[in-house]
Amino acid sequence: MDEQLRTLDTAEATTHYEKSKPGGSGSLWRMSAIARNAFREAVRDRVLYNLVLFVLLLTAASIFIGELSGGQERKVIVDLGLSAMLLFGMFIAIFVGVGLVYKEIERRTIYAVFSKPVGRGEFLVGKYLGLCLTLLVNVLVMGVGVSLALLYVNRGWDPLIPTIWPAVLLIYLELMLLTAVALLFSSFSSPALSALLTFLTFVIGHFSADLKILAISLGSTGARWFFTGLYYLLPNLSNYSFITPAAHGRTPAAGFVLATALYGLIYITVILAAATLIFSRRNFK
Amino acid sequence: MNNERLKRITLGLVIVVGMACAALMVRWTDTLQPPVDPNAVDDSLYLNDKTARRMSLGFNGLAADWYWMRSLQYVGKKMNNYQGNIRLDDLSNLNLKLLAPLLDTATTLDPEFIEPYEYAAVVLPAIDVQQAIRLTEKGINANPNAWRLYHQLGYIYWRQGQYQLASETYARGAQIPGAPAWMEAMTAKIQSEGGSRSTAREIYTRMYEQSTDNQVREMASKHLMRLASLDEQDSLRKIFAGYRSRTGKCPESWRELAAVFRAGGIPMDQSGAPLDPSGAPYLLKAGACEVELDWKTTKVPLK
Repeated sequence: MDEQLRTLDTAEATTHYEKSKPGGSGSLWRMSAIARNAFREAVRDRVLYNLVLFVLLLTAASIFIGELSGGQERKVIVDLGLSAMLLFGMFIAIFVGVGLVYKEIERRTIYAVFSKPVGRGEFLVGKYLGLCLTLLVNVLVMGVGVSLALLYVNRGWDPLIPTIWPAVLLIYLELMLLTAVALLFSSFSSPALSALLTFLTFVIGHFSADLKILAISLGSTGARWFFTGLYYLLPNLSNYSFITPAAHGRTPAAGFVLATALYGLIYITVILAAATLIFSRRNFK
Repeated sequence: MNNERLKRITLGLVIVVGMACAALMVRWTDTLQPPVDPNAVDDSLYLNDKTARRMSLGFNGLAADWYWMRSLQYVGKKMNNYQGNIRLDDLSNLNLKLLAPLLDTATTLDPEFIEPYEYAAVVLPAIDVQQAIRLTEKGINANPNAWRLYHQLGYIYWRQGQYQLASETYARGAQIPGAPAWMEAMTAKIQSEGGSRSTAREIYTRMYEQSTDNQVREMASKHLMRLASLDEQDSLRKIFAGYRSRTGKCPESWRELAAVFRAGGIPMDQSGAPLDPSGAPYLLKAGACEVELDWKTTKVPLK
């Protein structure tokens, strides 16, 4: 039954929205139909079950960490909660992200979709937004979980609660960027290779600042240009790491959050454009 | 030009212009970050603090927590295995050679994590005082506004008998905005009294009040009990001297002094023996006008 639903979902959703909404031929409506379907599919795939594991992890941490951390349970809960949020989110972005397009091709449901007036770019962006919606639900629930754990440990209001939310926002932006990267790789590669490449992008993205230092320290002009180019080309994910300062009650400056958000949105636009360009050249005949 | 071709050109333009914008954004966000230290360039190929943090891929806080808890368990396990009385600030018999590297790693991963520096300042001086000073100074460099770390560094110097350095350290800490007034008072106290009992009491009282670590608080509390006991023993010796001047001999039992204790409001047990700060009775050295702690029952540290 589930398998049948999955097969029919994307095509039916687009048809349904074409028929039922005013101006149903609009690109936004088609993308939103695909996004909602991708979200439903993720929920049906039990992706959100990771939340149960997260809640268990935090509950255990709230009860036992106090014994082990020498009075540092609040810091440990924020570190553990936000790190788990990033880790689980990264796994979802990579493993669900690389399968978004591949599954549709493998099940041949993509033919049903493209027999409708749905563009390849609309399909990709719709899938992307669907997974971003799944991740949004994920980080929001986890953020509330961390806040509740802090309330429990502090036996009341904790000043760390408002300081974790800017860090949660930055984590979400990083996951959005990572999802776009996963989608780009999956538009031309196998799921296993896409997952590996996306994970490597995550690793390199956190090292990008080292490329700049390396470029400064190199004597050769060519090598300096090469590493400086790489620094600007690769996603700078270290800007999104604000978990540790958040655990000390520090919040990023509004200008910094705005700049990183803008950078993320530009980078995502570039990646989705590249993914669309590659995907539109693929032959499904 | 057909529609498909136009779409591809547009997408190509989005990629090129978008990447240019992204590069500009990176330059902008770089200006919002602290500037790259030119001195750090020379050793950038080695594992410095920032690289270690990046190697943990954004999970550095969690990794620091793990190293912190590992440090506590390392010390706790060795303390549990040790046969005999032991105090947190005198663990030299436990061969804790991994403690300094563990705390160093924790603070490298999360330089704003104050507790490992404080723990190092209390535990490490008995094991390796240079490491204790280095770690606490590392904490001060990473957190120049954390006056508590100046208190800890001053404590290390004070324990070593380097009263001038201790006083100067408290003076530096007292200048930090938000530092309590007693930091300034401590500067003068150490300068004038050095290792006096009153200075020790002040230091351990502040340590007890400020620390969030239960082990450190317990250690400070034991020191305070010992200081209170030393004061009590001095008072008892004065009472012995009075008794001796009246009777020409030292008391043979506590009962002989019960009336004096009662008049002075000194707490006693049923046998009339005065109680030490942990509630255990003092031992009277009969005929010697001397008093001592009963090591079998007392919880006051003997040294």
